[in-house]
Amino acid sequence: MSEVIEPGLELQDRQNRFVSEHLRRIFVQIYRIVGNVADAQDLTQEAFIKALQHQEQLKDEQKAAHWLSRIATNTAIDFLRRNSRTTFCEIDEAPESHSESPEQALLRSEHRGYLEDGLRLLSPRERAALLLRDVEGLPAEEVARRLDCSKATVRSHIANARTKFRKYIERRKR
Amino acid sequence: MKHPNQSTLALFAGGDLGYFARWKTERHLANCDLCGAEVASFEAIREISTDLAEVPEVSWSGLEAEMKANIRLGLVAGECVRMADAPLRERRLFTGFRAAVALASIVTLVVTGVVLQTPAPLMADDHMVVQGIDNGIEVGGRGSAFRLMNTGATNVTFSVGAQGSMGARYVDPKTGYITINNVYAE
Repeated sequence: MSEVIEPGLELQDRQNRFVSEHLRRIFVQIYRIVGNVADAQDLTQEAFIKALQHQEQLKDEQKAAHWLSRIATNTAIDFLRRNSRTTFCEIDEAPESHSESPEQALLRSEHRGYLEDGLRLLSPRERAALLLRDVEGLPAEEVARRLDCSKATVRSHIANARTKFRKYIERRKR
Repeated sequence: MKHPNQSTLALFAGGDLGYFARWKTERHLANCDLCGAEVASFEAIREISTDLAEVPEVSWSGLEAEMKANIRLGLVAGECVRMADAPLRERRLFTGFRAAVALASIVTLVVTGVVLQTPAPLMADDHMVVQGIDNGIEVGGRGSAFRLMNTGATNVTFSVGAQGSMGARYVDPKTGYITINNVYAE
């Protein structure tokens, strides 16, 4: 029984290596979309479990990394759809940084909250498209692959997202 | 002067337009300060949004260890669920072969029922013949026949009915009695 449940050592090693190699990247990618450490942690775990349950896809490492990113993006978008109103860390719960003063930490947190408020105005796919293109700097073709849609659709999402985000920033400035 | 729409300017600011659309927009921007300002505004927004790249400083080693442990746990739990599901699938009532046999039986039953329900067409008995012969009337066909003999009669008068009957009328030479035979074939 335990032999069947326990994957072989070699397989387990490969899985551990795969997790170690990509964990941080995927966590950051999901964090940027959901904007919350606790949710990003849960969703990162979920994305890895989904990926590792289909291990046959992991033979080609290059493709596996791509595929994992797609799973991560979709997992985060699904989460945003399920929870149309996302929740964010309170300032006093935010992780501590040792390299900045409390005032700087407060300003940074406020700034982040201000930008996050703007992101809430976007649909989950517009938000993901904007973050992948403008924050992660991926080309539109790659964003289209990650979101599993055409390049024209991605352009439309990006244009809408930039326009809405700009309106939000300008309104807040006034 | 016709201005490009907001979406075009937003895409231009991020370098996301195709070659021809970019060239057209550049030509327009060379002469339009208003649209130039719009593009500058979109570029500024792109600059600001890069601040979202910042990830909070977390105790990465602790977080990593926790996530790895949870992923391992999730995989093992998933494996357990799959194994618990497997016997159920094996116990399925209708596998491919069984389903095929059951279906064939049902089809056979239905076809038999239809055949039995359909009345066989009435076959006309083409070979049944009623005819007058030298010494009587014969009803027969398909190798067998029934004859009503006019024994010793010499002067027989035959009559034929329209509905498959035949009659014979004669005088017995010994007794002088008149005999009339009528044969109906059904």
